[in-house]
Amino acid sequence: MNIPTSLAIIAFAALIHASFQLSVSVLTLLSAHTIGAKHSQSKLLHLTISFLFGAGLMTILLLSFISLSLLNIFGSDTPQIVWAVACGMLGGVAISIWLFYYRHEKGTTLWVPRGVASYLHDRIKSTKIGAEAFSLGLTSVLGELLFIIAPIVISALVLIQLPAPWQLIGIIVYAIISTLPLIIIWVLISSGHSISDIQKWRESNKTFLQFAAGTGLIILMFFVYANELLIEVAGKV
Amino acid sequence: MSLGVDIIKHGGERPTERYKRDKLRSSIVATCLSVRAPEGQSEDVADLVCDAVETWLKKHSEVTSHDLRTVAARHLKKFHPEAAYLYEQHRITI
Repeated sequence: MNIPTSLAIIAFAALIHASFQLSVSVLTLLSAHTIGAKHSQSKLLHLTISFLFGAGLMTILLLSFISLSLLNIFGSDTPQIVWAVACGMLGGVAISIWLFYYRHEKGTTLWVPRGVASYLHDRIKSTKIGAEAFSLGLTSVLGELLFIIAPIVISALVLIQLPAPWQLIGIIVYAIISTLPLIIIWVLISSGHSISDIQKWRESNKTFLQFAAGTGLIILMFFVYANELLIEVAGKV
Repeated sequence: MSLGVDIIKHGGERPTERYKRDKLRSSIVATCLSVRAPEGQSEDVADLVCDAVETWLKKHSEVTSHDLRTVAARHLKKFHPEAAYLYEQHRITI
């Protein structure tokens, strides 16, 4: 796989990751609580930017950790069976997203474990300082691990085939694209947009986001399958 | 002011507590402020909603926290629909 194709796969996987909504929900609630508690605009900016850095850092750590683990286990020449398993995981996660990602009720309630959701709720209420918001960002990414694991594993498999400097670029590309919705919401909230408008948009477009994330994973699965398995097999024939 | 009404929380999973006007009022003020309503308007709206909720509470000896929230949201909708939307969404965002 050449470098542009690899980076395109990483960027597309990051775009799918970006369509997942747990961190966005937490950021929306955190902003609502901070404004409602009569904190200053600078406090709001401080807490939300800390949250954003936390979410970005956890994404980088997860991607780096999985890449390093795969590199140690398989080396840079990943066996085809691993690609096949990763493609299967993409398909499985895609179907679960189509079926389960949002709960079938009003609002934007997600199929994350209820314990995690109520823990996040309680933490949002008690977040007063930047360090707490930062750790909330870290936790919110972990809370959605069941769904984000698929694009992260595929990106990691692609990353370990790249030369070292391009691996770093790949990680940065993934981190920036996957945190793009958080950056957009941060900009909107900082510039005085109403949180209820943001939430209304999220609620009215949730079916589209759910469909787009699942379909994106299916497209990624076919692309990776064709690129890594079919071409390889065709080359041997 | 205490009306002597018990609030059953989370379907009985958490301990029941007495209705406290201040608690309801501050949650409504916070929601109004969250949608960037001015502080004075937020407090006025919160008082109106609390009055309306208390009229409803007088007919009951105990209510669930969910019912209390639903009734408060219904009255808040009359005075500040945007805040009411956010108030309803609070528990169904994550």
